[in-house]
Amino acid sequence: MRSMIKTVARTRVARRLTVVPAVVLTALAAGCGTAAPGTATSGRPTASLPLGTSVSASGATWAVLPMGVPKDSNIFWQLFVLPAGGTKWSLVTPPGVATNGAIAVSVTGARSLAAGVRPSQLLRFSPVTTTANGGKSWQAGSPDPGLADVPDALAAAPGQLLALDRDGRIVLGRTSWSRLTSLHGLAATPAARSCRPSALTAVAYGPTGAPVLAASCARRGVAGIFTEQGGQWHAAGPALPASFAGQPVEVLRLVRTGMRLTALLQAGSGAGARRVMAWQAADGRWTVSAGVPGSGAVRSSSFGADGAAVVELSGRRAEYVAGAGAAWQALPRLPRGRAVTLALPAGGGVDALAADGSVLTAWRLRASGSVLGAGQWEQTQTTKVPIQYGSSS
Amino acid sequence: MPGMNSGLNINDPIVVAAFRSALLHQGIIALLIFGVLSIAWVAVREWRPPDPGRGASQAAEPAWRQVIRIGIGLLWVFDGILQAQPAMAVGLPSKIIEPAADGSPHWLQQLINWAGTAWSYHPVQAGASAVWIQVGIGLWLLFAPRGTLSRLAGVASLAWGLGVWVFGEALGEILAPGLSWLNGAPGAAAVYAVGGLVVALPSRYWRSPWLPRLLAGGLGLFLAGMALLQGWPGRGFWQGTVHGQAGPLAAMVNDMATTSQPAGLARLVSNFGSFAAGHGFAVNLVVVLLLATTGAALIGLAVAGPSRIPAAGAGRWLIRGPFIVLVVFCLAVWVLVQDFGFFGGLGTDPNSMVPLILLAVAAYLALVHAPAPEPVQAAEPTAETAPTPTPTPAWRERVRPAALSKSFAAAGIRTMLSACAIGVIILGALPMAAAQASRSASPILAEAVDGSSAPLHTIAPGFALTDQNGRRVSLASLHGKAVLLTFLDPVCTTDCPLEAQEFREAGVLLGAQASQVELVAVNVNPLYGGLAYTRAFDREQSLSNVRNWVYLTGSTAQLRPVWRNYGVESQTLPGGSMLGHNDVAFVIDPNGRMREELDFDPGPGTTATVSSFASELATAARQALASR
Repeated sequence: MRSMIKTVARTRVARRLTVVPAVVLTALAAGCGTAAPGTATSGRPTASLPLGTSVSASGATWAVLPMGVPKDSNIFWQLFVLPAGGTKWSLVTPPGVATNGAIAVSVTGARSLAAGVRPSQLLRFSPVTTTANGGKSWQAGSPDPGLADVPDALAAAPGQLLALDRDGRIVLGRTSWSRLTSLHGLAATPAARSCRPSALTAVAYGPTGAPVLAASCARRGVAGIFTEQGGQWHAAGPALPASFAGQPVEVLRLVRTGMRLTALLQAGSGAGARRVMAWQAADGRWTVSAGVPGSGAVRSSSFGADGAAVVELSGRRAEYVAGAGAAWQALPRLPRGRAVTLALPAGGGVDALAADGSVLTAWRLRASGSVLGAGQWEQTQTTKVPIQYGSSS
Repeated sequence: MPGMNSGLNINDPIVVAAFRSALLHQGIIALLIFGVLSIAWVAVREWRPPDPGRGASQAAEPAWRQVIRIGIGLLWVFDGILQAQPAMAVGLPSKIIEPAADGSPHWLQQLINWAGTAWSYHPVQAGASAVWIQVGIGLWLLFAPRGTLSRLAGVASLAWGLGVWVFGEALGEILAPGLSWLNGAPGAAAVYAVGGLVVALPSRYWRSPWLPRLLAGGLGLFLAGMALLQGWPGRGFWQGTVHGQAGPLAAMVNDMATTSQPAGLARLVSNFGSFAAGHGFAVNLVVVLLLATTGAALIGLAVAGPSRIPAAGAGRWLIRGPFIVLVVFCLAVWVLVQDFGFFGGLGTDPNSMVPLILLAVAAYLALVHAPAPEPVQAAEPTAETAPTPTPTPAWRERVRPAALSKSFAAAGIRTMLSACAIGVIILGALPMAAAQASRSASPILAEAVDGSSAPLHTIAPGFALTDQNGRRVSLASLHGKAVLLTFLDPVCTTDCPLEAQEFREAGVLLGAQASQVELVAVNVNPLYGGLAYTRAFDREQSLSNVRNWVYLTGSTAQLRPVWRNYGVESQTLPGGSMLGHNDVAFVIDPNGRMREELDFDPGPGTTATVSSFASELATAARQALASR
């Protein structure tokens, strides 16, 4: 009896692999899928930011980028890791779950990371998983009700997770989730009066370990960053340059690296948008950069372990800043690729990861001296990712 | 429109075989209807010979009505035969109805989607129904030349024509952009309906002086309106090409040329498409002028009336001319533009030109022919000769067996054949009506996706795992109940949620019997084996409050033997893929014996296939319960 069942089962597995692409495409065509990255949610800022990103810790650099075939809605988000001092990026995408909805990541230690998989197709909640060994193995955490479509929807601290959900709720948890606040809850607090938050855009743990959340403000010229202390929310945003006055301000990114919190803020929209980077030290003080040079849409933004940050703009341009108080430097024109994510490895330097279909190409910037713009991109790695197209069923 | 497409291949062999089988069975029943009624009729007539004078009082049917009745009748029969094409059962909603409704307003699309979903849920029954209803209406029209039965045949043609026009042709796409007489507006079914309306008129109107005028004038106004639409600037018909692409007319003709058909015809149509692309303005000018002039001429004839039309000499050509031009024009469009309309395996009718020609010929005959001879005076008796009117018996008298047999014996051969045709219509309508009473899709869809289930007769391997509430559940603890067992991944993005919904729906379909059936799923993802994930899945799929739903999980060491014993494989795939596992369901009877194994891949997983598996599961569960 058993052998008979096995034979039947094996036949079906083999057939299934041929059937699933049609299944996925049909389901997508039929509109079965949930909101794809970039679609509006109640927690969505008005300035749509692509979800590709990278973040560094002292022991590893992590990068998330979309691979696959966009025209067939067959995008599979991949997670790569580069060990500190290493030269080769490795594929460490959390297994056992389809990543078509993108991956939100947050570092928790030198080689530790929490990853949440955004809902896609008929999966409406977000599996959350953690690694403590650079992605070699993963442990399932409590499933989140459904991460929002923003790069910083998940924040991790040792023993604790903070998440921004699609319905605009902020939840806190580890083995189970509890509601911390919501857009409406925040808006009702005295701290939010000066901002009048219209959308929640990011969550993070601050330098002191307190939950921090970011919002788009209906009131112009105000940075909507709030921190929770003693059960109360407090406005914690930086004072913005005069050029931001009179403009609607959005917090595009909010990332903790080491003992500092780094934020990317944007005033206005379109070709006239202005952007600054801001760093909050452990004492709560902010340092705001000069405006990010250049115009155009932000394609991705990445953060180094030492406070460095890089902003990729449309037209294969990128601007780099070494940390608080440093000046912006234009990087050489970026390598070609359907999706490019920049990374700032823990050992220093700038990497560019370019995805084309299932092929990842890594480039490292070779600069002579401190003038990055005069450097050249040198290809260091080409990897074929074994994407099982149509296998997200 | 989600309900339209079952996602199956339109030539799916399982559905096609079931469709053929249904047609064969119903065809045999149709022949039996004809045979039994004929024998009964002959026998009764032998027993009770009819009154020889009966039935002679009905008025003779005028030629124009004959043309419409017989013509539309033949078209319905032909359309019914076209409906029997193998691809119709699956293909009609997605390949014919949905494209027709594409450009229509949202409310109309919603209405059509409702009907299309009803068809897609029961493709075999719906396909066979369409065949027999149309053949039945056609035969009825052919067999019943006069009297109430004939008029009722007209009503049937009107009603079914309107139904097809609304749900099958999206009102002939009159609310969609690009409406043109050339591509079939306002839809063949609308013309059938008009024909049915004319046939349904009482005989006292047959010789009415306004009827020929109404026919000619109506046709003339329609043609004039179509000329206006065809010539309206900005609608694109004046350009053979637009931005280097074929214009609307040329594009349609070229599209028709690609239909599967005899090579010579395809070449002819393709050549005309090229000509239309190269000479778009001239072609449209000819079309507009012909429509406008024939329309104006018919309106003129209608205004003048038959009495003022010269009956002989050159004047007759004043009448014949527009009709001959119109018929030739319609034939040319039918061949060169509409490409006969019924090729390609999914043609439902010969398009609008043939029924329009019928209407034109009927209008001509109505105008020029003298009214049919008056019936024998019995129809309008004079005071002197009129027989004493026989009092109509009460209905109780009429339904007595003796009275019924007398009426049956008195019926003519045409009446008897009409009754047979009505029987064919009922034969088609009943199975579809019965299918519609079911809330779930036909199991034939599940079978088409996954094939038939495999019968099993062995002891089900035991297991003991933890349910979503943290309780220990073993197969032995479910003894006495039928068990529907499957293997689901709680973080699955497509198949498993659909399968869970099929299980849930199966529970609903089981009704009171659901209390004797356990719907059991075993977690198949070792990486997400915690209770938090089975609970999250239950919440996501609204299964938390389903009393007989059990989602079991455990450690990998506990789960693996269960998977192995049931032949389930769990494969972790790299690169952001979901876990690979086989989609399978087992039916375990109350004695713990496996009765069936169902391949449970939801396939396309469209609205149309949803609940088909549920129906299959519920049936299997009932059979397992019955085997106690």
